[in-house]
Amino acid sequence: MKYNDFLKLCEQYKLEKDYSLSAKLIPCVHKFLDQSNKRKLPVIWLETSDSGDNNIAFMNTTYPYLQQVFTDMIDLLYSNTFMAAQGTDALDLLFESAEEFQGAFVLIVEGAIPTKDRGIYNVIARTNNGNITALDAVTNLGILAQHVVAVGTCASFGGASSAAPNTTGSVGVGSVLKQEIINVSGCPVNPDWLVGTLAHLLMYGKPELDNLGRPKLFYGNTVHRHCQRRSYFDNNDLAKKLGDVECMFSQGCVGPRTGADCPYRQWIDHVSWPVKVNTPCIGCTNQDFPDASAPFFKPFPEKSNSQQSSSQKPSANDKGEIKS
Amino acid sequence: MSQHKVIFSPVTRVSGLLSVELTVDNTYICEADVCCSMFRGYEYIMRNRHVADAVYLTQRICGICSTAHGAIASYLLDQLYDNDIEENAQYIRNIMLAADFLQNHIRHFYFFELPDYVIMPEQPPFLRQNCVDCRFDEEENRRLASNYIRAVKASEQSHQILALFGGKAPHQHSFLHGGVAVAPTTDKILQALALLKDIRDFAERYMMADTNLIANRYNDYFQIGKTAGRFLSFGLFKFGEKNDKSLLKKGVLENNTLTEPRLDLIQEDIAHAWFQRKKRLAETEPAPHKPGAYTWTKAVLYQGNHFEGGPLARMKINGHYTGGTSTMDRIIARSIETLLLTELMEEWLNKLAPGLPPIKQKSQLLSNQAIAVMDAMRGPLLHSALITNEEVTMYDIITPTGWNFSPKDEYRNRGPVEMALVGTHLPTPDFKYVIPGRIIRSFDPCISCATH
Repeated sequence: MKYNDFLKLCEQYKLEKDYSLSAKLIPCVHKFLDQSNKRKLPVIWLETSDSGDNNIAFMNTTYPYLQQVFTDMIDLLYSNTFMAAQGTDALDLLFESAEEFQGAFVLIVEGAIPTKDRGIYNVIARTNNGNITALDAVTNLGILAQHVVAVGTCASFGGASSAAPNTTGSVGVGSVLKQEIINVSGCPVNPDWLVGTLAHLLMYGKPELDNLGRPKLFYGNTVHRHCQRRSYFDNNDLAKKLGDVECMFSQGCVGPRTGADCPYRQWIDHVSWPVKVNTPCIGCTNQDFPDASAPFFKPFPEKSNSQQSSSQKPSANDKGEIKS
Repeated sequence: MSQHKVIFSPVTRVSGLLSVELTVDNTYICEADVCCSMFRGYEYIMRNRHVADAVYLTQRICGICSTAHGAIASYLLDQLYDNDIEENAQYIRNIMLAADFLQNHIRHFYFFELPDYVIMPEQPPFLRQNCVDCRFDEEENRRLASNYIRAVKASEQSHQILALFGGKAPHQHSFLHGGVAVAPTTDKILQALALLKDIRDFAERYMMADTNLIANRYNDYFQIGKTAGRFLSFGLFKFGEKNDKSLLKKGVLENNTLTEPRLDLIQEDIAHAWFQRKKRLAETEPAPHKPGAYTWTKAVLYQGNHFEGGPLARMKINGHYTGGTSTMDRIIARSIETLLLTELMEEWLNKLAPGLPPIKQKSQLLSNQAIAVMDAMRGPLLHSALITNEEVTMYDIITPTGWNFSPKDEYRNRGPVEMALVGTHLPTPDFKYVIPGRIIRSFDPCISCATH
C-alpha cells in the first residue's frame, strides 16, 4: 500500500459508522510483510581456523536474542555449532542448500584460511572422496553466495590464526576470494556488529563499507574518539598502572588507531568494555592484530613494529577519525 | 556383514572441527580413530613475545573456555614475578572463571547435547535431525525444546557476569597477573547477584530436571560409552596469596585410589599425531603428511596411561558424585557441577568487599621458567613457559581435550574417547551417528583447544 493510499484509507474510515479501520488495515499489513519480507536470509556458516569465539559471541546477542535471530531473521542452513544434523546428513544439507539458494544465500566464514600445503591444516569434513579443506569449501561456496561475510578478525584479515610465524600460511577470506567481502572484524566480533550487518543485508542490502571492507556503521570512528577517558588523554593525565582510572595510552592502549564503537556500544548486553575495567584496548578489530598491538601492555613507541605503524602519539586535537 | 568403515564427519555441535573414523565389525565398533582436523600453532605463536601477552593471546586458543587459558597464564606470570594476590582479587578471579564455566556447561547441555535426545522443531538449524531413537512424547519434547530458549538467556547472563568484571566476553581483559584490574563496586556486586539468581533458578528448575528426565529415559546410557575409569584433575578455584590453595581438590583417581598428581609423570606422545621431532632438539614441528598419523592432537599420558578429565573427574574426586564412567555419568556430573558453581559464586559475591582494583604487578622476574596447572571446563589444563628476560623462548600447552581426545600412543593404547567408543553396539545402520554422537559429546569436545 502506498503512503497516500494509507492516508486516504484513514480519512475515509473516520467517516464510517462502524469505524473498523483496523479490520481493513490488518490484511494490508500482512500483505506488506509478505511482500517486503520475502523470506528470511538463508545463511551458511563455515567455521574454519579460529577459536570458535565468534560463534560464542553470536550466542551472546541480545535484542534480538539468539532464538529470535533464528526465528525472525535468518535460516541457518549449515552451522557446525548449531545444526541438529550430523555426519553426511550435515554435509548433504550444506551442498543442497548451496545449490537451492545459489546466488541468494549469505556465506558467513568464521576463521582464517590456511593456504600452506594446499590448506591441509584445516579440514572441515572428511569424506569417502577425500578431505574438504577450509580452502576448498570457501572458494567453492564463495562463488555461489550472494554475499560473503567474514566474521571476526581471523576471517577478515588472518588475525591471531595468522600471527607470526604463521606456520600454516593462514590468510583472511578476502585473500582467497575474488569478490567483495563484508568484513565484520573483532576478536571476537561484538554480536551487535554481526547481527546488525545481517539485519542490514536483510532490510536494506549491502551496508556502506570502509576501505577495509567493514560496515562504516560500526567501524567508522576510532575507539579513541569516543573513549570516556578522552579528557584524561587531552590533559595528558595518563594511568601509572593497570587498574587506574586515567587514560590507558601509557598502558599500551591502541584505541587511537582502532576503528570500533566499543565505548558506546560495550559488550554483553552493553555492560562493559576493556577500558571501563581499567585495561587497554588491544585493537582487536585491526587488520594487523595481534602482531602490531604487541606487546599489549607497552605504549606505542615500544610496540614490536611501531616503525611501520603510525606510531606517533596522536595529538590532542586529533579527532580520532580513521583516515581512508 | 563383515568389517566396514564409517567416517563420522563432521561431528557437529562441538567446538571446533572433529571427525571420527569407526571400524565396525558386524554391529559392534571394533576400532575408533578420533581426528581433530584443525591446527593453528599457538606454541609457535607465543615465542619471541612478551610473556605478559600470554594472558590475552592464549585466550584466543578457545572461544568457549577463554577465561581458563587467561587464568592459567595469569597464574604462570604470578609465579614468574612472585606476585602476592589479595583475597578480594581471588574472589573476583573465581567469580569470573565460574561464570565462564556456567556459560560453557549450559550451552553444552542445551545447544550441543539436547538435539541428541529431544526432537527439535523442524526448522533451521535443526533440519534433518536423526530421530531414530528419540524417546520423549510430544509434550515432553515441546517442554525440553522450550528450555533451549531459556538456556539462551541463562548462558548470556553468565557471560554478562563475566563481562561486568572482565570488560568483555569471550576474551576478558581484567583478570591479569598480580590480581584483577577492575574495581569491585557495590553496583557490580549487586548486578552480578541479580543475574546469578536467575541463572541459579534456571539450573535448579530446568537444567537439573531436564538432566534427570534424560537420564531416566535413556538409562541404557549408564552402560554405554564407559572408559577405563582413570581420572585426573588439577583442582579448581585457587585461593591464597600465592595461588597455593585450591577449593576443588586435585587428584589422580585410579582403582578407587586417590593420589596427588605429579607433573613430572606427564608425557606427550606424537606417535599418531601429525608432528615430528626436530633433529637434535626436544621440540616438535607439524608433519601433515606423516604416515600412520590421524590427528592434530598429541596423546597425553600420565605415568604411561591415558586419563580422563572433566566434571565427572572433579565431582568424583571431590565426593560430589559416586556413579560410574559412562556417557550419562558425564552428563549428570556436568549438571551437578553447574548447580554447585552457582552456590559457590553466590558465596564469593557476598564475601567480596567493595573497594579499589585489587592488583599489584611486580616488575622483577623471580625465575625464568614456570608451570601452571588448573582444571578448565573439560579437565586438566597446563601452561608452561621458558623465558629469557621477559621474552618467551618456549611455551607449552596441554589442554583437557588433549587428554580426552588423545589418539593412540606408541603402544597403540587408546585414549578415553576412543576407548569409550570401542565395543559399542550399533543395532542398525541408522544408529551409526546417533550413538557415537552421544558418547563423543558427553566429553564436551573442544577441538580448538585440543590442537591449539
